[in-house]
Amino acid sequence: MLGYHRLNILLLVLCLASPLAWSADETGKAAELPPVTITANNPAREVGYHIGDILTRTVTLKVSDQYQILPTSLPIPGNQKRYRNKEQGIEIYASKLSESHRDGQNIYTLELSYQVFTSSIVAKPAALPPEFVKFSGNGKQFQVRIPSWNFRISPLAVYGSVNVSKDMSPLRGPLLISADKHRQTMVAALAILSLSLLGLLYILGNRAWLPRMGGPFARAYREVRKTSADNTGLETAISRLHQAFKQSCGQSVFSADEIIQLKPAFTPLKDDIERFFRLSRAVFFDSAEQGTPDNPNPWLRQFSRRCRDIERGMK
Amino acid sequence: MSDRQLDDWRAQALQLENEVNQVVVGQAGAVRLITTAIFARGHVLLEGDVGVGKTTLLRAFTRGIGGGYQRVEGTIDLMPNDLVYHTYLGDDGRPHVSPGPLLSHGTNLSVFFFNEINRARPQVHSLLLRVMAERTLSAFNREHHFPHMLVFADRNQVEKEETFEIPSAARDRFMMEIPIVVPANIDTMESLIFDTRFHDVDALVDKVAPGILQFDGLNEVAALIQSSIQASPTLRRYTLDLWLATRSPADYGLKVEGVDIKRLVIAGASPRGIAMMMRAARVNAWLNGREAVLPEDIHTVFHETIAHRMVFNPIYEMRRTEIARELLSQTIRTISAA
Repeated sequence: MLGYHRLNILLLVLCLASPLAWSADETGKAAELPPVTITANNPAREVGYHIGDILTRTVTLKVSDQYQILPTSLPIPGNQKRYRNKEQGIEIYASKLSESHRDGQNIYTLELSYQVFTSSIVAKPAALPPEFVKFSGNGKQFQVRIPSWNFRISPLAVYGSVNVSKDMSPLRGPLLISADKHRQTMVAALAILSLSLLGLLYILGNRAWLPRMGGPFARAYREVRKTSADNTGLETAISRLHQAFKQSCGQSVFSADEIIQLKPAFTPLKDDIERFFRLSRAVFFDSAEQGTPDNPNPWLRQFSRRCRDIERGMK
Repeated sequence: MSDRQLDDWRAQALQLENEVNQVVVGQAGAVRLITTAIFARGHVLLEGDVGVGKTTLLRAFTRGIGGGYQRVEGTIDLMPNDLVYHTYLGDDGRPHVSPGPLLSHGTNLSVFFFNEINRARPQVHSLLLRVMAERTLSAFNREHHFPHMLVFADRNQVEKEETFEIPSAARDRFMMEIPIVVPANIDTMESLIFDTRFHDVDALVDKVAPGILQFDGLNEVAALIQSSIQASPTLRRYTLDLWLATRSPADYGLKVEGVDIKRLVIAGASPRGIAMMMRAARVNAWLNGREAVLPEDIHTVFHETIAHRMVFNPIYEMRRTEIARELLSQTIRTISAA
């Protein structure tokens, strides 16, 4: 019984040891070849290539700086790989090598361009073929394989007519007619219609969004508030109020009586309007004019606000 | 001449106005305008229907101004030499030449009153062109000067028979063309009918105190008024805008109903015309006791100093008075002063 157990343990040990031994053997083999890191930057899409198209892939090879690439091993432009003595229709169009050195490694960047010289009436699988480049150094020479890259070559034209209804694949799903363009057109038309209606409303509303809003004195009041406290600001404020009276009355006006005759709503402001005209005369025409406000700028702001209130129907 | 003297002159001017207003009722506006013209040294043309008091008004002013006064009646056979001299056979049986209306008072002529000016021929208008513009006349191989002379003229636009339209060059010499209309006030109209003092024009005019103004001092005071009454930069700009609007009204958005505004004006106010307007506005400011011209002073004299200078397309000439009034009113209503 004890012997049987020893046999089992021995078998178990043998079973566990044999893969390790194989692994050690493989590691020893790999250690013989210097490590070359291969990175391939391939075209973004794999389909939709036609005859004449040029595909470019960039391959980066990193190797210890004890080894150098052999330029004679690089792919030669014009070459075409054969498979079973038959040309594959993918020809090397250009091959460009650049190199740099960093962190004790030689970095080779190989830019390979291939041109498609084959076509078919149906989509055809193809591949940028594997390439082999050689390195030498440290008394050794070895080659590495740049892996191939698969893609599809599309036909230039579909042969014969295609009846979609006979090609009802459940995997494909129903064919939908895109309504995006019509939806966008409708949205744009609705937007234009809305803007037009808003514009019409604004125009019919005497260029104001709300009744009695945005009148000449409301605009004048906003501007008068912003005028500076110097003489220029005073002149600007008075001119602005004259404009407002002109717009409100529909003509140039030169006295309080004229304004009240045209706009009786301003009757409560008659005294102030007369003071305003006296101030205007003093500023623009006759400096000897009497009866002007002591602090004209604040007074004008207050006056324009009262005019705006009258304009809005307030007493 | 001091400010005090200006005040004294203003008091005399207002007294003259007052006296004339007692004699010619319901014409206060026209009286103020004629007073303005006297102190602006501008000639005056009165225009109105027959019998509205044009001649009475001018005679009343003439009496108040004082100085030499002459009057001629416009007739179709009046010739320029009739204004300069007249010939007659004297008591001695020999021909004599004596000075005509223009020359008889020499330099003291203060008012030359031309009644019904549109009945005179264009030759007479031509003579007046020079007399009015330069206040000189060449006659008897020498130059005669009338430094104090004002021409008062009147015309009626109702009658077209045997009349001659005053050319625009002659109209331009008049500072003002003042329309005289029947007073609108009912009481005034009634008194004109029933108050007998209005029936005897000579007696009526004699009620105006003679020589209220010192006629030979008017030029001096007029110059002083023009130099002492100020016009601010804003007012200058406003006046310029008004002037340009009379020349190209379409550019300023002016509109007159039933008139193609782009074809209406052939020539707007002349530089002389707008300068006369400004002179009159200054006098108006002075009469109102101000030292600077206001837009209102311009408005007071604007129609009367500008309307008769406008040259319209002939197709609108028949409606001249109405169109000119509307156009100039539009100008004042449209142009902003400040």
